[in-house]
Parts: sequence; C-alpha cells; structure tokens
Amino acid sequence: MCGLPVQVVCRANAEYMSPSGKIPFIHVGNQVVSELGPIVQFTKAKGHSLSDGLDDVQRAEMKAYMELVNNMLLTAELYIQWCDEATAAEISRPRYSSPYPWPLSNILAYQKQWEVRRKMNAVGWGGKNLEQVYEDVSQCCQALSQRLGTQPFFFNKQPTELDALVFGHLFTILTTRLTSSELAERIKSYSNLLSFCRRIEQTYFEDKSS
Amino acid sequence: MHGRDLGVNPDDLVEAPEPEQEGKQEILENKDVVVQHVNIQGLGRTKEDLLGYEISDVFHAKNLIDVMKKAHVARQKLLRLGIFNEVEVLIDTTEGADALPNGLDVTFEVTEIKRLTGSYNTMVGNNEGSMVLGLKLPNMLGRAEKLTFQFSYGTKETSYGLSFFKPQPGHFERKYVADPAPQTLFPLGMTSHTLKWEGVWRELGCLARSASFAVREESGHSLKSALSHTVSVDSRNSAIFPSRGALLRINQELAGYTGGDASFLKEDFELQLNRRLFWDSVLCASLWGGVLCPIGGQSSCIADRFYLGGPTSVRGFGMYSIGPQSEGDYLGGEAYWAGGLHLYTPLPFRPGRGGFGDLFRTHFFLNAGNLCNLNYAFRVPYILWFDIESVMCAGEGPRAHLQKLAECIRWSYGAGIVLRLGNIARLELNYCVPMGVQSGDRICDGVQFGAGIRFL
Repeated sequence: MCGLPVQVVCRANAEYMSPSGKIPFIHVGNQVVSELGPIVQFTKAKGHSLSDGLDDVQRAEMKAYMELVNNMLLTAELYIQWCDEATAAEISRPRYSSPYPWPLSNILAYQKQWEVRRKMNAVGWGGKNLEQVYEDVSQCCQALSQRLGTQPFFFNKQPTELDALVFGHLFTILTTRLTSSELAERIKSYSNLLSFCRRIEQTYFEDKSS
Repeated sequence: MHGRDLGVNPDDLVEAPEPEQEGKQEILENKDVVVQHVNIQGLGRTKEDLLGYEISDVFHAKNLIDVMKKAHVARQKLLRLGIFNEVEVLIDTTEGADALPNGLDVTFEVTEIKRLTGSYNTMVGNNEGSMVLGLKLPNMLGRAEKLTFQFSYGTKETSYGLSFFKPQPGHFERKYVADPAPQTLFPLGMTSHTLKWEGVWRELGCLARSASFAVREESGHSLKSALSHTVSVDSRNSAIFPSRGALLRINQELAGYTGGDASFLKEDFELQLNRRLFWDSVLCASLWGGVLCPIGGQSSCIADRFYLGGPTSVRGFGMYSIGPQSEGDYLGGEAYWAGGLHLYTPLPFRPGRGGFGDLFRTHFFLNAGNLCNLNYAFRVPYILWFDIESVMCAGEGPRAHLQKLAECIRWSYGAGIVLRLGNIARLELNYCVPMGVQSGDRICDGVQFGAGIRFL
C-alpha cells in the first residue's frame, strides 16, 4: 500500500527464522524486522507511512481498532485452527507437519497445538466453545462494519494500517479451507466488509498478475 | 639348660622335613591335575550363561601352574565385563563322592556392582567445556547390559543422551551399542570397523539477534537419519604423544536413505605418521580431508558442513574462522583439507624429568589448510552406487574442485607448549604466525590457547 517493492517468499522454517518467533518479518538490506508494529515503525523511520494524514484522535482510534482486530480475529483464528479438534486433526496438523519427515512431523505438530492451547487458556478463551467464538467474531465484524459504513476505507479516502490489517485477516478467513464454512458465512453477511476486501484485492494485488 | 620338654627333639625337626618338602615341590609342579568344578559364588542378578564363556578356559588347565594362570586370566575377563566390583579366586582340592585324587575346585567369589550409580563430572572437548551428569544402570538384565543416561550442559552445546550397551556373549570385543545410534564395532585383522546408524533431531537457532541472514535461513528443525562406517588402523604407541606408528581413519556417512530430511554423502579421512628423531624428539605429519556431496538437489545444511580453523586445526586462525562467510558468520564448506608438520621435543633442560615434566612437550608446527564450497553444475536426483564416479564428474569435475582447494591456501607456523591430560586430551599454548590469510578469515596471531581431544 505504500508503493514499496516487495517480494514474498514462503519458507517452512519462517517461524524459526524470525528474531521474535512471529511472522511476518521483513528482510531489508542487513536488517530483519518482525511483526506488524515494528515493521510499520521501521518504514515510518525510512519516511513511508500510511497514517501521516491522521490527527491524534484518529490515530488513537485506529490503534484501538487494531487492538480489537488482534484480540478478536487473531485469537479466533488460532482457536478455530488448533483448539477445535476436528479442524486440528483434518487441516492444521497435516498442514503444519507437511515439510518435515516422520516422526518429526508428528512431534512438531503436537507441540504447536499444545503451545496454542496453553496460550488460549492464558487469555481466557480455553473454556469457550465454537459457537461463542463465532459470536465474538460476528460482534467484531459488526464493529468494523459500522466504522467502515459506506466509505471506501476506514479513515478518509486513504488506506491506513488498519485497512491493511483488516484486509489481511478477512481475506485469509474467506480464502482458507476449513472443516465448516460457518466463519466465512458470518463475515460475508456484512456486505460492506466483503466489498472492502474485494476492492483492496483488486487495487493492490490483482494488477500485479495482469 | 633345658626348656620344657615338649617331647620333640629339635634336631629331628630341622633335618627330617627338608627332604620331604623338596619331594612335595617336585610333585606339585609336574603333577597332572583335572579341574573338576568351577564355581561362581555371590551372583545375584547376573545370569550364569554369560559367565560360562569367560571361565570355560579354566577347565582346560593341565597342571597347577596352568590352573593358576588360567584362573587369573578368567578373573581379568570377569572384571572386564564391568559388572563386578571384586573377584577373588580360590583353588582347592576336590572333596566329595566323585572327587578324583588329582581333582581341583576353582571358586570365583564375586561381588556385584550396585544396581544404580550416578556420576558428575566436567568435560573438556574441542575448545568447549561442559558439565556432565550421568546415571548408569550396569548389568540391567543380568547379561552385562548397561543403560546410561547423560545430560551435558556446555558452553556451546546442550545435549541429552540415552545409551544402551550389550556385549555379545562370548565375544566381548564385538559390542552392540545403541546410543541412540545402534552401532556395532568389530575388529577385522589389523583394522577396526564401526558400523553405525544415527538418528538426530536437530534444532538450529541464532544465538545473537545480529546473526547474518544466511545463518538465519538455516534455523529450524531437521531430522538426520544416517548410516556411517568407520575404518581405523592405529599402530601408534600412544594416543597423545606417540613416538612411532601411524593412524589412518576413514569415515563415510550416508544420510537420507533411511528417512529424515538431510540427504548427503560425506567422506572424511585422517592420517597421522610419527617418527622418532635424534634426542627424544618426534616428527609428526598429519593430513585431514573431507568432502560433502548433497544428494537430491537440495543444498547442504550448515550443521553438516566442515569447519576449519582454530587451535585444534589450523592454528593462528580463529575458531572455525576459515572459508565462506557472510557478515562475519562462518558458514562452513563442503570440501576441505588440512595438513600439519610438528616437531615435539621434551621441555628444554628437562625439568621434572620422570614425573610431572613428562606431561609437557614443546612443539614447533607448520599448519596449512583450505576449505571451500563445491559447485555442481547440476544436482542429481538420486545416486546409484556404481554411478558415484560419474556423479562426481557431472558437475565441475574433480579436477576443478582440486584446483579450487589448491589455490588460496591458508597456512601458519609457530611454536608452543603442549600438556597431556590423561590419555585423551591436550592443552596447548602456542605463539602463531598466520600466513596466506584470505579476506574474510579471522586470525588469532600471537598467543593462542587451545584445549581438546583431536588436534591437527
């Protein structure tokens, strides 16, 4: 969205390559920066920023919405992938263990599952069931949908970091195959979010392939 | 003056027994004996069939001296099994209904080792130190099996090991060890072979945030499942300061055909020749070399490559600091060679001769070596055993590789003092002058200290 040239590389050991253990991370020259917050700060220090046009109140609001997305959507995604036994067994574990040979594949997949479940318990989502999680996601989408309204982007006419983050999560949810498409359906019920995703995809990603 | 009359005439005592005693000595040495029973007392959990092999030889003794010799050998064999604390031998004449006039009974009284022993020690490896905690269960199931668990915490590496050892009954030199790498060792003529399967789960990580990206790319988990074979011929008279003899060790490792995701063929060899010169000094020439061929199109992993440099190989350079590097981190290479020429002399003026001074030597050395990566024009997706030659030639060819290894040789010379630790390790303090330094190598000229087991 900043107009910077970027090359996306997929690696099986990306999680371990990252200095903080979390993806995504960028490799620029000699430096490696991981996670969205530090990446945004890094590009800002180099002079590129999406949120220059916002005043302080709007910036605070943007941060609040980004926290909402991180707390709700991200946690819901992790929950559905690893705490729901059906999804974990059918999709998540096979996918996570595919680059490794047996028996390492089994060990690493189960290790990841235990790690995510511990984290879910720590944030208090361990006791929730799937229905409650879907409800939480719906509520989050409702808040986003209300904020978006009929505008093209969340703030003014320019995309900001919030747009990038929301697009990333919604696009992933809509395009990932899960055992049930309940989650995707709930998001599709908010038509303005759906058209928002389509619009960003067309503007920034499709003209690369054309 | 007469003392009390004991009814014995002292003159009789002195003279009469002598001819009898001489007669007895003759009889004992020449007399044929038959070993009728060999007993082992004090067995708790040890199974008797295991011991049968060690003591069977005693039955073949023909006279008393032979019995004593064979019983001594059997005692050594029993102690060598590592399951007894003490073994005592008792030789006595047979008694009982079926006793022959020249029958003998040999009894071994043994005390078994405790079921569980623990140990705590520190260990010095190649320029690293570690603390090792061990737990050992000797003679677990009664047939001299040994289960050892070891936890090692060191300056560079932390590892856990579980090892199982079972000797083949009757052939103690042939051992079956699972470490967790099952291996068998067997002597074959003058050579000693080791055949081993090894499964290793490796997790590589960056120790510093500033690690170069080339190193960062290698982080993560991998599984190596490899078969390896080592041949070694060692005619040296000592492992640390040999004064004559030679050592040749060739090791090959094939990974990937038994599972795992590391796939390569690795060869390396070690040659050492020693010759005594004038005045107790020894000239030692050694040569190391190795080659790593990745199989199947993937590039080699940083954990499998060779490293060169440091006080244990080419002295005068930093530890593992020769060869391809990226932003200050050394990546290792796929082929290397290293050679050394040493002259060991006793300390000047020989202080402490015959004791502490013998543990030291002064040495003058000349070390050289090179390390590089090999470029194959294309990678072959599989290797047929008889096709290895054509695979090696398919890329740039062995000639081009040899040429690469022959240019830009790093070498160094210097002198120093060496201290022997036990029969395994050495400490060295050297003054080195590195030469032939290429850009990117890290040198350590001047005084360099090294500790380790395997030195060039």
